[in-house]
Amino acid sequence: MQTTRPTSPALAADDLHVRLGQRNVLRGVSLALAPGERMAVVGPNGAGKTTLLRALAGLLRPRRGRVALRGSQSPEDPAARGGLGFLGHRPPLYPHLTARENLAFAARLQGVPESAERIQSALATVGLATDANRLVRHFSRGMQQRLGLALALLADPDVVLLDEPDASLDSAGVGDLPRMLDALAPHAAVLFSTHDERVAHALGARIARLEAGRLTDDPRKTPDLTPATVHTQVRPRPPSLGRAVWAMIAKDTRVEWRAREQVPTLLMFTLLAAVVFDMAFIAALGSEVAAVAVGVLWISVLLAATLAGTRLFATEYERGTLDGLLVAPVDPSGIYLAKFTLLAIETAFVGVAQLVFLSLLLNVSLFRPPTVGAVLLAAAAISAILALQSSLVVSARAREMLMPLLAIPPAVPVLLAGVGITLGALQVTPAGQQGAWFGLLAVIAVVFLALGMVLYPHAARG
Amino acid sequence: MRQVRTTELPGPGRLAVLREPATAALYAALLLSMGLAIFMAFLFAPAERVQAEVYRILFVHVPSAWLAFFAFGVVALGSAMFLIRGRSRWDRLALASAEIGVLFTTLCLVTGSVWGRSVWGVWWQWDPRLTTTLIMWFIYVSYLALRSYIDDPDIRQRMASVVGIVGVVSVPIVWFSVEWWRSLHPTPSVTNPGGGMPPEMLTALLVSVAAFTVFYVVLVRQRMQLELAVAELGILRERLHERNEESA
Repeated sequence: MQTTRPTSPALAADDLHVRLGQRNVLRGVSLALAPGERMAVVGPNGAGKTTLLRALAGLLRPRRGRVALRGSQSPEDPAARGGLGFLGHRPPLYPHLTARENLAFAARLQGVPESAERIQSALATVGLATDANRLVRHFSRGMQQRLGLALALLADPDVVLLDEPDASLDSAGVGDLPRMLDALAPHAAVLFSTHDERVAHALGARIARLEAGRLTDDPRKTPDLTPATVHTQVRPRPPSLGRAVWAMIAKDTRVEWRAREQVPTLLMFTLLAAVVFDMAFIAALGSEVAAVAVGVLWISVLLAATLAGTRLFATEYERGTLDGLLVAPVDPSGIYLAKFTLLAIETAFVGVAQLVFLSLLLNVSLFRPPTVGAVLLAAAAISAILALQSSLVVSARAREMLMPLLAIPPAVPVLLAGVGITLGALQVTPAGQQGAWFGLLAVIAVVFLALGMVLYPHAARG
Repeated sequence: MRQVRTTELPGPGRLAVLREPATAALYAALLLSMGLAIFMAFLFAPAERVQAEVYRILFVHVPSAWLAFFAFGVVALGSAMFLIRGRSRWDRLALASAEIGVLFTTLCLVTGSVWGRSVWGVWWQWDPRLTTTLIMWFIYVSYLALRSYIDDPDIRQRMASVVGIVGVVSVPIVWFSVEWWRSLHPTPSVTNPGGGMPPEMLTALLVSVAAFTVFYVVLVRQRMQLELAVAELGILRERLHERNEESA
């Protein structure tokens, strides 16, 4: 639908200051884009182009100044991000999903209606229709960039931020860029960075120069905000938290099914732990086999969960897909909730497997209802702690070293409760305190889950 | 050319810091309260009936434990305020308090171990109070480790704040451990009306707690000022770098 009315900027930044480390990367950037307008930010390496785009997308918190989408909405507001398309310097793609599955996941997170048609149209527009069902890990860098563009433009956004969209594209791909934007986001305000002013001219964009964190000319003077023909559209409603969490869990499960990175390794680790610990303790303790089995069970569950927890957010961070999740119109606590659920399922799975391994190896009947219940509840409690810690170490040096130090101390009460319940179930100790131990596990799970959901959004954005 | 000795360079002088009235008052309070606490611990409080003189370690052990709890509470407060307000001074408070809290928890564990060797005959018992205190110590050591593993100051402050808030869950667990589980460790004798501590001992203990608290305030203040100086130095370096870039 088209109407004529005065417009407010689709995207505006006012006196934006961003510091990375000790370095002031952006020093007072102000700009505004009218709906449908295109702006190219050019500048030398290190000028702050990527930082500017990340700050405009809400991925970096400015030290001073503000960003406004569609007049007044902050990009930190999940609902405002519903109309935002973002492509960073690395396309946020899952290598073990096909091109179509990557787009379908993005469509679910953005609540794109009639997504099958839209996905097919987006794939055709970026020239990947025949590669729709190929795994992205078999794509060239240029094909990944095309798919990244389709992903950023999938929801027909009002505001599009592209970090060097021409990077890795062949000359035909660069020549196709205007057509892709016109077809997939014809009414969007587009801000992009580039080193090639010919790309800016081809896209009909005005040029802003960024040098040492400052725009050398003030682009606020240029946008045309007089009454204009405005395309109004009904924004797709962002998915509910439950739907978004389910989409992320389904995606992670599919990725794991294809990649087989986590679960087989964890199973081998728990089996190895069972064998090694049993060999060490049996010689020392002789007949106290049940006590050995209980200790080995809970130590190996804790260590396996720590191992899995270390990779929980790190894999998303390393392949750049965490940015894709954070710019989606989803509350960041949903990301924590999805990762918690995934880790809880994995931990419960290896815990139950370890019950089987130890029952066979030590001839102890560990497979009893209280023990299985303790493993399931402890998996939830440990995962609530570890999912949060995992999100904290993603940007740390040597995170594999740091994670056990950070994660194991708060998980010790879970270990004690698990041991208490299992010893009671095996009648090594009186079973009277089992209710209290189960209560402790439930309290830990609930408290840390609540802390994680409240605190993760603070940890998520840089 | 004349050699300039460092002592000739302009500077604040060693005792210039004491010219600030608030600092001078704090140091005076520290000297007075510590002097009084030492006097009361060794000369005013009577010997204990069973443990004789050994029990006097109480006057270091209990204030250390109190300060550990207090310091970690302040870490949580500073961390929460940093996340809400985004002002670095709150993070500096959390950092200073965490370092000092770890220091006093270490002191508490060491003095407890020495005392335990005398009373129980062993250096360590897997007692709920001792074990939970050790776990609390690990949590805050990992808080400090996390800070040292993240280079970007802004990210470091936010991540550490989350751990600073989560970590405080350990404080009530340590406090109530002697009531929730069977423990060799005595229950609190100051807050417990039936604690049975003679008035002279109790007075000496309270004075000692007050003196340690003043010590904590002095240390936190110094550490925050040091951290502020480090941050300002970083900003000055960056400005110098920017100026060099612009002139180039």
